[in-house]
Amino acid sequence: MISDITFGQYYPSKSVLHKADPRMKLLLTFVTIIFLFVCKNFLSLAVMAFITVLAVAVSGVPLKTILKSIRPVLIILVFTAALNIFYTKGGEVYYEIWKIQITEKGVNTAIFTIIRIVILVVLSSLLTYTTTPTDLTTGLERLLSPLNVLHIKVHTLAMMMTLALRFIPTLVEEIERIMNAQKARGADLETGSLVQRAKALIPIFVPLMVSSFRRAYELAFAMTCRCYTGGEGRTRMKQMKLSVRDFVLLFICLTACAGVIVLNIFFEAVI
Amino acid sequence: MQEKIIELKNVTFVYDADEEGKTNKPAVNDVSLDIYKGEFVAVLGHNGCGKSTLAKLCNAIYEPTEGAVTVKGIPSEGEENGDKIRRIVGMVFQNPDNQIVATIVEDDVAFGPENLGVEPKEIRRRVDEALKSVNMYDMREREPHKLSGGQKQRVAIAGVIAMQTESIIFDEPTAMLDPSGRKEVMAAIQRLNKEMGITIVLITHFMDEAVKADRVVVMDKGSIIEQGTPREVFSKIDLLREHGLDVPQSAELCHSLGLGDGVIGMDECVDKVCAMLGGAV
Amino acid sequence: MSAVIEVKNLSHYYQKGTPLQVTALKDINLTINQGEILGIIGHTGSGKSTLISHFNGLLKPSEGTVLVDGEDIHKDKETLRNSRFKVGLCFQYPEYQLFEETVYKDIAFGPKNMKLSDDEIKERVLRAAEHTGVSIDMLDKSPFDLSGGEKRRVAIAGVMAMEPEVLVFDEPAAGLDPAGRKKLIDLIKDYHRSTGCTVIVVSHSMEDIARLSDRLIVMNNAGIAMDGTIQDVFSRADELTEMGLDVPEITKIFAEIKKRGFDVPPDVYSVDRAVDVIRSLTEGRAGL
Repeated sequence: MISDITFGQYYPSKSVLHKADPRMKLLLTFVTIIFLFVCKNFLSLAVMAFITVLAVAVSGVPLKTILKSIRPVLIILVFTAALNIFYTKGGEVYYEIWKIQITEKGVNTAIFTIIRIVILVVLSSLLTYTTTPTDLTTGLERLLSPLNVLHIKVHTLAMMMTLALRFIPTLVEEIERIMNAQKARGADLETGSLVQRAKALIPIFVPLMVSSFRRAYELAFAMTCRCYTGGEGRTRMKQMKLSVRDFVLLFICLTACAGVIVLNIFFEAVI
Repeated sequence: MQEKIIELKNVTFVYDADEEGKTNKPAVNDVSLDIYKGEFVAVLGHNGCGKSTLAKLCNAIYEPTEGAVTVKGIPSEGEENGDKIRRIVGMVFQNPDNQIVATIVEDDVAFGPENLGVEPKEIRRRVDEALKSVNMYDMREREPHKLSGGQKQRVAIAGVIAMQTESIIFDEPTAMLDPSGRKEVMAAIQRLNKEMGITIVLITHFMDEAVKADRVVVMDKGSIIEQGTPREVFSKIDLLREHGLDVPQSAELCHSLGLGDGVIGMDECVDKVCAMLGGAV
Repeated sequence: MSAVIEVKNLSHYYQKGTPLQVTALKDINLTINQGEILGIIGHTGSGKSTLISHFNGLLKPSEGTVLVDGEDIHKDKETLRNSRFKVGLCFQYPEYQLFEETVYKDIAFGPKNMKLSDDEIKERVLRAAEHTGVSIDMLDKSPFDLSGGEKRRVAIAGVMAMEPEVLVFDEPAAGLDPAGRKKLIDLIKDYHRSTGCTVIVVSHSMEDIARLSDRLIVMNNAGIAMDGTIQDVFSRADELTEMGLDVPEITKIFAEIKKRGFDVPPDVYSVDRAVDVIRSLTEGRAGL
């Protein structure tokens, strides 16, 4: 069933990472991802890999679940690897056929990029596995709240994100329902030319739009009835408080980042 | 005299009244109605009779085209008053999906009190209490889209309870539910009224739900055509039929057998029929 | 009577092979006869919607077969496609499937997909409009300008216009008020009477089903719990209540009267019948 598609899947647990402050998690994920691109050699990359493995180990999320998150990017991995192997040239030539050369630099870059993407995916999915969507949006809202000074409506953006997250499963179900109804009237969605297929989507798209507008309208009423008037004067049930735990995580992360810089300086860059 | 919570005086409401050149029929036409504190009022009528519009007038979602709506003395004019009124009169809608805003049950219940600026600790207390009062406490960490219709509707009710409004308007809360969902929601509504003293206005077209109210108001074509206790109202079988409504089967049976009008509830009906049968032996 | 739909050892699992596997249908055997009007009741999640989605091949059985006119509908693509037109499925809240610019075009969507000639399509649209009480001047309107009840009837006409051998309604009266319910039930009844088609109605409402059909299937826990006449099924009211179904008030009243020692039949589900029963009892005694 399509309704099983969910992104940002939260995996309930009581691990250190689950308990950590969402703001800190967002910040640290952001910083680590930046440092992933600062890495210039395998040693510094190994530091990042090490803290990733460490994070996975303490997250309480089963390895299998984490590996699942890599599956959707497999194609990208293969593609980038191939691209790097065939197009990056330099160093010792391992293999040569016709115009294609496989070089040391090519292989290194490929491996390097793969590890980098895997870490990137694992870290960001770890963030969503250990943080509920609500915490995530609230965290983001708090983290970006300084932007309010620039008249950027951070609260509105966060509210929109929350509502999107809330309604995606509902809309997916709705699409399934409309598709079934039109299929029962003989709508053919699977065959025909591209134009025909695009046309065949109209009977699904129009009712979906109509019902989404109805939902939006009713939701707006419901929110007004619950005294929603925007971000001003709102309080939060779930308070975010930085604890020792969060500073320990910060310390580990910063140490790793410092390590990356040191290793970058003292060892030769591979890419 | 009891304290009035909601007062409608000669209220008329026309959709798109401000648009020139449009002469829509009024959805609500010269309605006067008082809702008293602690009351359980059912508003009955067929689809399109204006009862949902009436509901939206009661908590200042709509402002009357003519006449006046006042909630505890506050006239429903302007945004500021609207906000004040909605702190007194909460609302639960028909479609359970379209009134839940958060991705976790307890976060959704917290939404109202958060908007009111209630202290975090107090919100927590209210949320837990509200969820317990609709028997949804054990599901507080679930995702709303995985709940049944009746459960979603109870979450929506908890969301209003947590705002501690004195009164709640239910706009056909069971219309999209299955029989067991309907039962759950009706039980919750009755508990709010009896145990927590919350004033209830229940908009419905189900007779068996209206029977449970203290007072039934029957609407058609935007006007109130009848009101009284369920017993009084359901004794007027022909009138209700004329306006596209039904009567509870118990009332209809007793009426048809000449056992008196306005019989509501199974027990009374069984007693009467048994007496009739017994008398014949 | 010949069978139009035969369901043999049908099982259906959602998310098969995962830890989340749910058994939606378990070993269903069912024969639906040509021209009958069949009611299916069951609480939410009892498998009734999953069952009807197998009748026109929207779902593929995990195990077992579904035969329409003696042919396995999953035999090949052609048969599957034809089964869509042989068995018309009208889902809950069908008005949400409307999409065309005019009512006429929307009703014509099904017949068009059948690749019929324009004349034939026109005839069918008009016939379907008549069955559903959609007036001629409504045909040129946008379906989105209609009232809720009208939209529902247009959507039903859209399925009827395919002129299927079997027409399945899933909760046709959901969300309607008492008058609307009655009207719709009568509409289905009239359609059945005038076309002689097989009609299947799925509902939570025992009252609606009792007004409609002769034969009733009760679904519970992914299986068929009862299959019989309305009288048979209603006489087991206690079991129905246990399954979370809503028994009409009048049936409950009669169960109570019986408990108090009066000899009344257990299968009373309408006030008219109730009045007859009581009258005959009192008159019978008065005559003695």
